Amino acid sequence: MTELAARLEGVGKSYPHFALNDVNLDLPTGSVTGFIGANGAGKSTTIRILMGLVHHDRGTVTVLGQPMPAGQAAAKSNLGFVSEDMRLYKAATLAWHMEFVQSVFPSWDQTYAESLMTRFDLKAAHPIKGLSHGQRVKAALLLALARRPKLLILDEPTTGLDPVARHEVLAALMEALADESRTILFSSQNTLDVEQISDQIAFIDGGRIVASGDKERFLDQWRRFRLDVPQGTTLPVLPGTMASAAQPHGARLQVVVTSRFEPSMAAGYKAAGITVQAIEPLTLEEIFVTTVMSKKAGATR
Amino acid sequence: MSNVAIDWKLVQILVQKDWYFMRKSLAVYLALGAFGLFLISAGSEGTFYAGSVLLVTILISLGIHLVMATVIQERTNQTLAFVMSLPISPREYTMAKVLANLTIFLIPWLILVMGSLAILGFGLEGAGLALIPFAVVILTEIFVAYCFVFAVGLVSESEGWTIAAMVLTNLLFQGVLYGVSHLPDMASTMKGSAIVWNATSISLLGVEIAMIATLIAVTFHLQSRKTDFI
Repeated sequence: MTELAARLEGVGKSYPHFALNDVNLDLPTGSVTGFIGANGAGKSTTIRILMGLVHHDRGTVTVLGQPMPAGQAAAKSNLGFVSEDMRLYKAATLAWHMEFVQSVFPSWDQTYAESLMTRFDLKAAHPIKGLSHGQRVKAALLLALARRPKLLILDEPTTGLDPVARHEVLAALMEALADESRTILFSSQNTLDVEQISDQIAFIDGGRIVASGDKERFLDQWRRFRLDVPQGTTLPVLPGTMASAAQPHGARLQVVVTSRFEPSMAAGYKAAGITVQAIEPLTLEEIFVTTVMSKKAGATR
Repeated sequence: MSNVAIDWKLVQILVQKDWYFMRKSLAVYLALGAFGLFLISAGSEGTFYAGSVLLVTILISLGIHLVMATVIQERTNQTLAFVMSLPISPREYTMAKVLANLTIFLIPWLILVMGSLAILGFGLEGAGLALIPFAVVILTEIFVAYCFVFAVGLVSESEGWTIAAMVLTNLLFQGVLYGVSHLPDMASTMKGSAIVWNATSISLLGVEIAMIATLIAVTFHLQSRKTDFI
């Protein structure tokens, strides 16, 4: 049985204008889970529940063996957290922050902190108020990574970063992955970032997990068929297929997307007299958008 | 909130953090307070009045500044997420905030109150002693008002509600000042030349101390019912 760093089972939280419903999410130890959703989909609420900062109304949450929110202090002693809306104290220097976090975490690795400081081109004596947004994110990441956490939770850390800063942050994360026992949850709207570092994927929309699983399986099982459908020919309904975009009914050129690709599907179309012009892989972003749209439209056939 | 034991070392680290960020402001308030005490002790009626107003203003301002800097701005400046990412429970966070705020306010408050009482007791001729019970009741009211503003700030985490609490307590202060000075039992003793602690002044002080204890207890209770901390 896979060891889990965190598990959410049937978790729900209701607000007047938003509800998180029946969220089930497993974070296997050593995995990197990309958590993808649009603004307001429920990513941050889910993460705050994982951190114990928001109490769930329904379900159970376990983080590093601790029931949440009751065991949050114990869980957080092995946890690093960076969020897009998290700020450091403007009046203090990075050195003060490092000393402060070091005084709390016995696991603090000063050598690693200094190497990250060099890599991120940060100066310990710099007050936080003089740093750019990218530098502040890198400083927050340094403070989270140097405590050598077993679980690293990153809530949209790359949002608002310029391409160079984003690359540096992702590179540091890739290096953090070298420790195979470290588990990472990485939420983002940017599927390219998630695709680069994740091995597990969870899509959230409207407060529900709409799909989750192994990234490679996602990428392997999703395909787009470009079909030439002669007039009078009926498009066969194959398992897991859905229309990928609005297209006129009865049009000759059809685009069909499947989430359960089998090489034999092409033969099925050919047998129906349809020419398969192309079979294309989908990017994670296309998979996410198609999943969300099809759930909304109830279009899965 | 959980019943897990409080990690006092972590609470101490968080209290020290708030002291660190308030240290420069605190020095300024204490310097201004010393100047206020100097004015009170200068001897003339005008400087006594100016010094008293300055002292009250400093204590009220310190309370407001403290709540805004250590509680409200932790939310508005988005540093709360950083603090709550530490291995801390909401109960420990509340404990740290209460201890940091009470000690940061209490120490300058005590210094300035003791200074005022020393001047009234030894620095002014005759009339000063009689004002001591009144001064203690009024200066303690400032402490009560501070506790109320702090409680509203911590529980609501709202700048708007905290400002409303400040306005309310400042208005009430004027009312308390007027009301206490016009209570027959208080007014009669203030005109003498000796300290008179009568039932009225002792009762007023007792009520104020009870209010401080109640406000702190209510703060802990309401914080324990919170379900969202960010």
